[in-house]
Parts: sequence; C-alpha cells; structure tokens
Amino acid sequence: MPVEFSERHARKVRLADDCDPTTLRLSPTEGYLLSRIDGQTTWGELRQMGALPPDAVDACIEDWAKEGVVVIDGTGGMERSKAAEAPKRVRSNGAIGDLPSLDEGLDLSLEIQEELLAFAGLLDKPYHEVLGVSKDADAREIKKAYFGLSKRFHPDRYFRRNTGAFEGLIETCFKRLLEAYELLSDPNTRAEVQRTEAAAPASAPSEAVGKPKKPLTSIEARKRLRQRVGQLSGHKRVVQDRKRKAKSFFEAGMTAFREERWLEASGSVRLAIAFDPDNQAYRESFADVQRKAHEERSKVLLKQANGAYEMRDLKDAYKLFNDAVHFRPFDAELAHRTANLAFSVENDLKRAKELAQQAVELEPDVGEYRRTLAQIFEEAGMDANARREYEAALRIDPKDKEAKAGLRKL
Amino acid sequence: MSRVIGIDLGTTNSCVAILENGQPAVIPNSGGYKTTPSMFAITQDGKRLVGHLAKRQAVTNSKATVHGAKRLIGRRFDSPEVEHSRELCPYDIVEGPNEDARIEIGGKNFTCPEISAFILREMRRVAEEYLGEPVQEAVITVPAYFNDAQRQCTKDAGKIAGLEVLRIINEPTAAAMAYGFNRTGEEKIAIYDLGGGTFDISILEMSDGVIEVLATAGNTFLGGEDFDRRIVSHLVDAFREAEGIDLTQDAMALQRLKDAAEKAKCDLSQRETVEINLPFIASDDEGPRHLSMEVPRETLERLVDDIVRGTLKTVDQCLQDANVGVGDIDQVILVGGQSRMPLVQQAVADHFGKRPHKGVNPDEVVAIGAAIQGEALVSEDDNMLLLDVTPLSLGIATFGGHFAKLIERNTTVPVCKSHIFTTTRDNQSAVKIRVLQGEGDIAQDNDLLGEFVLGGIRPARKGEPEIDVSFDIDANGIVSVAARDTATGKEQSITVNATGTLSDDEIQNIIEEQELYEVALKE
Repeated sequence: MPVEFSERHARKVRLADDCDPTTLRLSPTEGYLLSRIDGQTTWGELRQMGALPPDAVDACIEDWAKEGVVVIDGTGGMERSKAAEAPKRVRSNGAIGDLPSLDEGLDLSLEIQEELLAFAGLLDKPYHEVLGVSKDADAREIKKAYFGLSKRFHPDRYFRRNTGAFEGLIETCFKRLLEAYELLSDPNTRAEVQRTEAAAPASAPSEAVGKPKKPLTSIEARKRLRQRVGQLSGHKRVVQDRKRKAKSFFEAGMTAFREERWLEASGSVRLAIAFDPDNQAYRESFADVQRKAHEERSKVLLKQANGAYEMRDLKDAYKLFNDAVHFRPFDAELAHRTANLAFSVENDLKRAKELAQQAVELEPDVGEYRRTLAQIFEEAGMDANARREYEAALRIDPKDKEAKAGLRKL
Repeated sequence: MSRVIGIDLGTTNSCVAILENGQPAVIPNSGGYKTTPSMFAITQDGKRLVGHLAKRQAVTNSKATVHGAKRLIGRRFDSPEVEHSRELCPYDIVEGPNEDARIEIGGKNFTCPEISAFILREMRRVAEEYLGEPVQEAVITVPAYFNDAQRQCTKDAGKIAGLEVLRIINEPTAAAMAYGFNRTGEEKIAIYDLGGGTFDISILEMSDGVIEVLATAGNTFLGGEDFDRRIVSHLVDAFREAEGIDLTQDAMALQRLKDAAEKAKCDLSQRETVEINLPFIASDDEGPRHLSMEVPRETLERLVDDIVRGTLKTVDQCLQDANVGVGDIDQVILVGGQSRMPLVQQAVADHFGKRPHKGVNPDEVVAIGAAIQGEALVSEDDNMLLLDVTPLSLGIATFGGHFAKLIERNTTVPVCKSHIFTTTRDNQSAVKIRVLQGEGDIAQDNDLLGEFVLGGIRPARKGEPEIDVSFDIDANGIVSVAARDTATGKEQSITVNATGTLSDDEIQNIIEEQELYEVALKE
C-alpha cells in the first residue's frame, strides 16, 4: 500500500494561541478535525483519522495555517515567540495588555477561562467592585471576599498546568485582588482610596494611591478590553451561543450515526461536548458513538495493516496492528498476531508479552496463544513462567510438538 | 504520576509525610521511628552513614559525625553563627571557595547543601520504601527567618538528593496548614515554635482552607540549647562550690555536662526530679571527683524563667504587628521539642488565656503541613490554599544610605508594588537602583541583591523628575525590579536570581559523585 508521506506530515499541528474556535464556521467533519488538533498529534496522524480523506485534511490544514487558525510546528517561529511573550504583555504592575482568547488546548476549562476574562474586565473598576463587595462593606466581608476569590485566582491553583497566554493574566488578577484587599482592609488607605475614587471615578485603580502617574494602559489595549468586557457583559448570550452550537453539532452527529458514518458521528458529538460540557445527554450518547467509531476505525486500520503485511512491510504492519488492538481490546486473535509481530519484527519483548498475555486472558483455552507467550517468556529469560505456559499448552493439546520441544530445551 | 512528599528538614531531627487517600500520614523509617536524626557520618573504613546509624556511632566517632548542618547552610564562613558552631562542633568547619562554610570529615570536604542532601535522600528513601514507588517531588520546610541564600541552598540540597523541590515553605506556616486541614470556619491561630536553636511565633488567619500569614516574629538566638546552657552553668557553679574545681576549663567534661543537661531537661518534662551522675568528671591531687546532683523541676524552671518570659514579649510584638488582640486568638499550637516543657506550656496558656491545642504532635506537624501543601499544589481540587508570604523586606537604597522598603516582609505573594522616586542633584542624568533585602534601616545592613542604572533623564532641577520604581514577586518567588522615567517612558529592569553557595555545575558534579557512591554501596 503506497503511503504518501512528506516531511511536513511529521510536524505537529496546534491551535494558534489567539484562535477562538467558536468563531469559525466549520462543517461537522472539519470541526472533528479541528477538535483533534491538540499540539501533540502530527499532521500525518491527522490525515489518518479517517473523518476526511487525507487530501482534504491537507487542504484544511493549509487553509487554517494561512488564516492563522492553526500553527504548524517548526514553521510558526514568529507566532510562537509572540505567544511566549504574551504573559509579559499583561504588565505586572497591573496594566492589562492584550487579553488572551479562549483556548481549548489549555489545561484550563473554558469556564475558568471565561471566569478569568470576566474578572479581568473588573480590574479596571473601583476596588470594591474588584472584590465584589459594596462600597460600605465591613472588614469581615472584605476579607471573606478576598479569601473566596483567592481560591479561584491564586496562581498556585494552576500550578504547573498549561495555562498558555492565561498565565500572566492569572497573576495580574491575583495581584490586583491583593492590592484591593490591602488597600481596603486598612482604614487609612481605604479613606484615601474612596476620596480618590469619588474624585475621578474612571481613573485606573493604581492611580488611587501615591503620586499621579500617567495611565498604565495603552489606548489600544483599553479598547480591546472594552470589547471584551462588552462581550462578557453578555456572558449569558455567549453561553447560549455555545449551547446552540453544541446542539447543532450533536444533531449532525446523530444524523451521521443513523447513516452509519461512525467516525464523523463521534467527532461531532465530541465537539458538542466541548461546547457544552455540562450536557449529560451528549456524554451518554458519546459512549455508544465512540464504540461504533472505534470499530470503524479499527476496521480501517486492520485493512491497512493487512495491506502492509502482504507487501511485507512488517514494521508498518506491526504499528497498524498495534493501533488496532487499542480499538479492539476484545480481539484475542488480533492481540496474538500483534504479539508475534512485536516479538519477531521489533523484538519488543515487553509489548509482546503484554499482547500475548492479553490473548491468553481473553481465550485461555487456545494452546497456540499459550505457546507464543511461553516463547516470549523464554526469550526474556523468565524460564519458570515459560515452563508454566508450555505445560498449559500441552494440557490443551498433548501433541503440540513445538511446546514439547520448548519444554525439553528448558 | 509520582507522589509529593513533605519533608521537615530539622536541625536535630527530620520527618517525612505524605497524603494517603486524602489523609496526612507520617512515614516511619525502617527502624519504626517517625523521625530520623539529621546526622551524617563517615566511619573509619570510609562507610557513609545517615540517621539513626550515624547517631548510634556518634560518641565514638564525633570528629566525623555531622549534626546541626542546618545552622551552617547558606551562611558565610565569617558570620557569627558559623563562628559559634565552630566553637561547639567537634567536626571541622572550613572556609569554602565562595566564602561559605564547609565541613571536613573523613578527609573530604563537604558543602552544607551536600550534607543536607544526604539527610533528604534518606527521607526520600524512607518514603520510597514505604510507598513502593519512586518519589521525585517534595515540599521542604525552613525556619521563617531563613533568608534567600539559605532557602536556595536548601533547594539545592533537594536537587542533589534527586528531588524536585516544588516549594520551600516556612515551618510555622506548615504547622498551620496541618492544623487547618479539613477544618472549616474562620479562626485566628498562633503558632508558638520553640525548637533547639530558635524561637518563632506566627499569627495566621484561616477560613475554609485559605491560610493567610498575618505576622511572624522570632529570635534566632533563643532556643532549647539556651536551656541546656543554663543547666550546665548551674552544675558548674555547684561543682565549683562543692569541690573547688572549675569544669569550664576541661572541654571533655564540658561536653559530658552538656549531654547530661540536655537529657535531664527532657526527662524533667515527664518527671518532677532527676539525678545527674557524672563519675570521674574531674580529678586533682586528691584523686578523682564525681558529680552527683539532684535537679528538681522547680530548679530548672527557676533557671530558665526569664527565657520563657522573653518569648512572651516576642509574642506580644507579633500580635501587635498582626493588629490582633491576644483575646482574638482562637487557637494556640505548640511546635518544636522545647515546647514539651510544662513551664513553656503553662506560660503560653496563661498568656493567651487558653490551653494550647492538643491535637497535633509537635515533632510531626511540620512535615504533615508540607505534605498538605505539596498535595494542594499538584491536585485539581481547591480544598487548601496557602497565601504564602515573602520572608524579608525588599527595597532600594536611597540618598544618605537609607533603605526604602517597597515590599514589607510577610507580604502575600505574588505581589507588585511601586513608588515614585526622584533625583537628588540638579541636572542629574542617571540614577542607580540598588536592590536590597533585609530588615535594617541603613542600606548597608541589608543584602544587596543586584543593581542597575537608569540613564537618559532629561535635565531638570533636583526633585522634579519622577522615577517610577516597581518591585514584582511572582508566584515562584522570583523578584524583578523595574525603574521607569515617567517623562520619557525610558525603562530599565533586572530579575534578581536567588543564589545559593553552589553553582549549577557544582551541583551537577555532586549529584554525579553521590550517584557513583550509591552504585558503589549496592555492590
């Protein structure tokens, strides 16, 4: 089976940092493809997902790369360095630079991302609004608000998680929260804060204390912030929007399911869940859809694997069989066959042993599987285990010559 | 994913804990003990021993047995603490190439982080044996007064021991975390930590798992050893009166007195009186002399009463810093071995008007708190959050050699603070920003962390330009400082890197050497 594989297909593809997938118009299959882009999967792997023909995958990724939706590893040097600097643009002294966009590829749920963005929108407001308390809140209320918000916005909550462009924002949020708490919990500074805020209600909070400074944020950054805040003040609308999108993905998925286009169905339902994670109905359907999709996927893999095997391209065949095992964990025959390949082609004894054991567990009464496992044990120098399996094989078929020979050798 | 352990790396004993099925547990070593002596030794035939094994042979091999390395870690060789240890320790303390204190035993020169690493590696091994899996990550505790260099050296020790140190946290804070674990409601608590060499008091506030440090105070030269010294001089005086012999002239006798005093002190926490017997403590023309003396608890209490009162003064100062009245404290927690003394417990109870909390073991609570913080960092749930603080004040040197603090110690991190400074001469075109850390009012009493120059200031009368200096501490404790001329927008900045006494290369070399040794041990 000829496999078209160029250098670019070895590259990993990831979503651009400022890409908001919710703003794209995609067909369900395109959506599925996009949902599989996680920064770890290579272009080549994406081509083999099966939802779209490989050529169509190429076309999609080329277009998306041009539009800046995705970044192809090793080609997006400029954009990457920009992304790496992104946290720094959120200036530490409280100035809010460009706000990050929602990003499903991060280790932060979209809810938290939205919460952070919503909170960032408050950072420009008077201190009591940052803390979410009334102007005349007492010390206890202020402390309670500060502790409660700290639990959500302290950077330690996101320790070592991939927070991408949100990293700087989280820190800025907490610092401003701390500033608000410190200034409002001290009666002296609080009086001053209130005087200043009354005099210039629109001024940035940092100007409230100390000597006058020029505004901390650029006009451009503020404009973007306004836009963002505008969007978030319609938070409900955003949520409804997402739910509507999720529903259309789900319906497309169910149609695909009825028409037995399993892979497409699985992709669409997965996307529906991504847009509306709280919907239990979607999650329940997903299990069924996924099982079907796995069957379908393994069918494709097995076909490719057998093709490669016939072409004597054993290394590829092994890889494909190995993938197929993942989708057909109940298939003893397949596990056994793959074990043999792991043993003979790759000499990967560990994997071979796992696979052979899987086969034996699934079908304990097949002598051949026992014998294979015994041979692998023997090769690995685990003689006692090898003997046990040879004996088991002979109990099943007392005439098994190879097992007899193996036992004699031990 | 491997588990995160909490290690209380103590001056005399160390302890390791972990969260198991959501419950904190102290891990006993192979001997069944929940704490392990912080001791390292090299035997005559070159064997390296750690913990109980090292302690057991300490009397016969005192010259090659290291204890109390924590007192030396991260300190300059010429500091008073090191000088003090040189007088007391039987092993050799020598000056290292970076003006650091090093320890020479068994014909080999060891850095302090290296010695601490032996202890940490042992604690790691104890945890690994218990868990049956490799351990790679840890939270380690240090005293609240430890400065940047001492913290960095402790981190380096962790690295040498093959551990990724997720955080270094303060011992009293860890104790508070252990207390606050799974506790709801609002409380203000005081942690009274009287250890072997130091005294610390911290006031914290907690509410539904969030812990905030309000204030800490302490005395780095006050601890259980002062109690020992009082007993020793009491014995010396009594012996001089009875026998006319001054025991302070004899180093060997002094060491025996010291050991006996420590033991008597511990025994007196359980018993009303102890007898100290030191046969052949001295001799003169008339033959050998023996010391035999009864010490009632009352005598000890009279001897150390002023020390205990002294700690209460520090407590009041700390309460004042925290802006909290003594009656506002809901719970008092005792930490450190010396807090077992009945007099201490009574004095603290009287002072706060309530009995200290009984639910924690003063030897284990710190390690447990460290394990809880480790879990809080890596886990997804949000049960516990420590609002950690910066241990020392940060600021810049100003005109006349003063120290202007921008971030006071005990400020919650991450944090950012700024202040406007100006020029001191007409037409001054540049300012030098010298970044300092410490508590002194005079610039030179503090540690210089780094410096830089902001130039290109437009000619103006003195006092007119506005230089906005901002300090930033991120969640990992990294400090960066920026200065901006508000007129021109010109900006200069530096990131201050905490430096221990070891370079990365040195650490790597030590790791490789210890690994070689590990292999050799297994053969």
